[in-house]
Amino acid sequence: MTREIENAAGIPVVQIATIVPIMLTVGANRIVPGVAIPHPTGSPELGKAGDKATRRELLLRAFKAMETEITYQTVFE
Amino acid sequence: MRLELHKVKVRDVQWGEKTCVKDGVLYVNKQAAINCVKEEERFAKVDLELARPGESTRIIPIKDAIEPRVKLTGKGGYYPGFSAPMGRCGDGKTFVLDGAAVLTCGPIVAFQEGFVDMSGPGAVYTPFSATQNIIMVVEPIKDLDPHQYELILREGGLKLAVWLAEQCKDAPADVVEVFEKGTVPEESAKYPQLPKVIYVCMNITQGLLHDTYVYAADIRPSLPTLLHPNEVLDGAMVSGNCVSACDKNTTWHHVHNPIVAALYARHGKELNFLGVIPTQESTVMDGKLRASQMNLSIARELGAEGVIVSEEGYGNPDTDLCLNARNFENAGIKSVVVSDEAAGTDGASQSLADATPEMTAFISTGNVNEMLEVPAMDKVIGWPETIAHLSGGAAESLREDGSMFVEMQAIIASTAEIGFNRVGCEWI
Repeated sequence: MTREIENAAGIPVVQIATIVPIMLTVGANRIVPGVAIPHPTGSPELGKAGDKATRRELLLRAFKAMETEITYQTVFE
Repeated sequence: MRLELHKVKVRDVQWGEKTCVKDGVLYVNKQAAINCVKEEERFAKVDLELARPGESTRIIPIKDAIEPRVKLTGKGGYYPGFSAPMGRCGDGKTFVLDGAAVLTCGPIVAFQEGFVDMSGPGAVYTPFSATQNIIMVVEPIKDLDPHQYELILREGGLKLAVWLAEQCKDAPADVVEVFEKGTVPEESAKYPQLPKVIYVCMNITQGLLHDTYVYAADIRPSLPTLLHPNEVLDGAMVSGNCVSACDKNTTWHHVHNPIVAALYARHGKELNFLGVIPTQESTVMDGKLRASQMNLSIARELGAEGVIVSEEGYGNPDTDLCLNARNFENAGIKSVVVSDEAAGTDGASQSLADATPEMTAFISTGNVNEMLEVPAMDKVIGWPETIAHLSGGAAESLREDGSMFVEMQAIIASTAEIGFNRVGCEWI
């Protein structure tokens, strides 16, 4: 889906996912590593405030990835 | 270590006054067996059913399978930490009701248990159509937390299996199998010329009812460790898994692990079998990197020259499989991996979620998405409607006449990745 959106609509897509090697294998271009498979975009074990901080940081990183010019598959650590 | 498996061949199972085995028939006192399980107060209802090979019977949904066994020496019981005192297994004498199996049946997660047909086209894909089955059909008390439900079902199955063997253990064995092997230094001194081979057994260790136990320890938060093969063949590993039915290693499978058996059979002849590394499949990337690194570290410390890696489950564990293959190959240790494939109903899709060029030797145990037509059975044990929620099933799978159209993955152990079955994929 990531590739198709980019190909068909020319919209840059950031993929947040936990298992980065799979994202590389399937051809995602902008990859932001997620937290864990059961909760890729949060840290429930850190409580409400910690969870929110994780989500905010991930989202800001995803925005930065979206704005970044790339020429090959890039992982935004 | 020297392990003797004292096997009594079970060719039939019947209800009886007294639980015993006689002339190949396992007689079970139904009420006494129910009472054994019912000691657990979190079961609201416990019933037992029997199912024999060839019968027109469907059992659904099944969580685990356990072979009835008990230690004849040492502290007794079986599965240390569960139904035996904590202590090392793999030594001494073990009594086995060979050909019998306890199956635990109850809808826990509702989507990751499986079914068994005792006859018909679905029967050939599971080993439990060929065993004499004692099925534990249970319902939990109202509002019981799923983790507790899984725990009591897991421990109840182990308890019943050990109890059955305990009642029968005075019966003379039909055959005694011996597994004997020394420590790694002892065997390496004996066979200095033979290539050293280690087996990495990957296990689902992902929490949320996806767990595997070694000596009753949930190994999700631990590091990979090393077991003597006798420990694996004698109850060190227990499944606590609610993963897709087709490629879960049931507790029954662990004690019958064909990779362990095959390496053992070649030990001292073609190779030097170093042991078994039960390892993790983590839900976080660092966990996958850590486990695969530790697998390599243990193998290198022991001087391994070759490794066999088996997967459990599919999807994200494919990355663990690739990391293992890559680490071993890059370290100069030849690796062979055993896995099933999720290649779509037409078999045309990429079969693993991940790939790596170092994975050069791959043994397939079949395509989990292969579709199968199974006819109605005269008797259904359990809850047939649960097929709608099982992986490999769908709302329309169960037809009004009782027949089903399902993926292979709904059948227990149909693509077991320790290579138990005969299903594979053809070279094209």
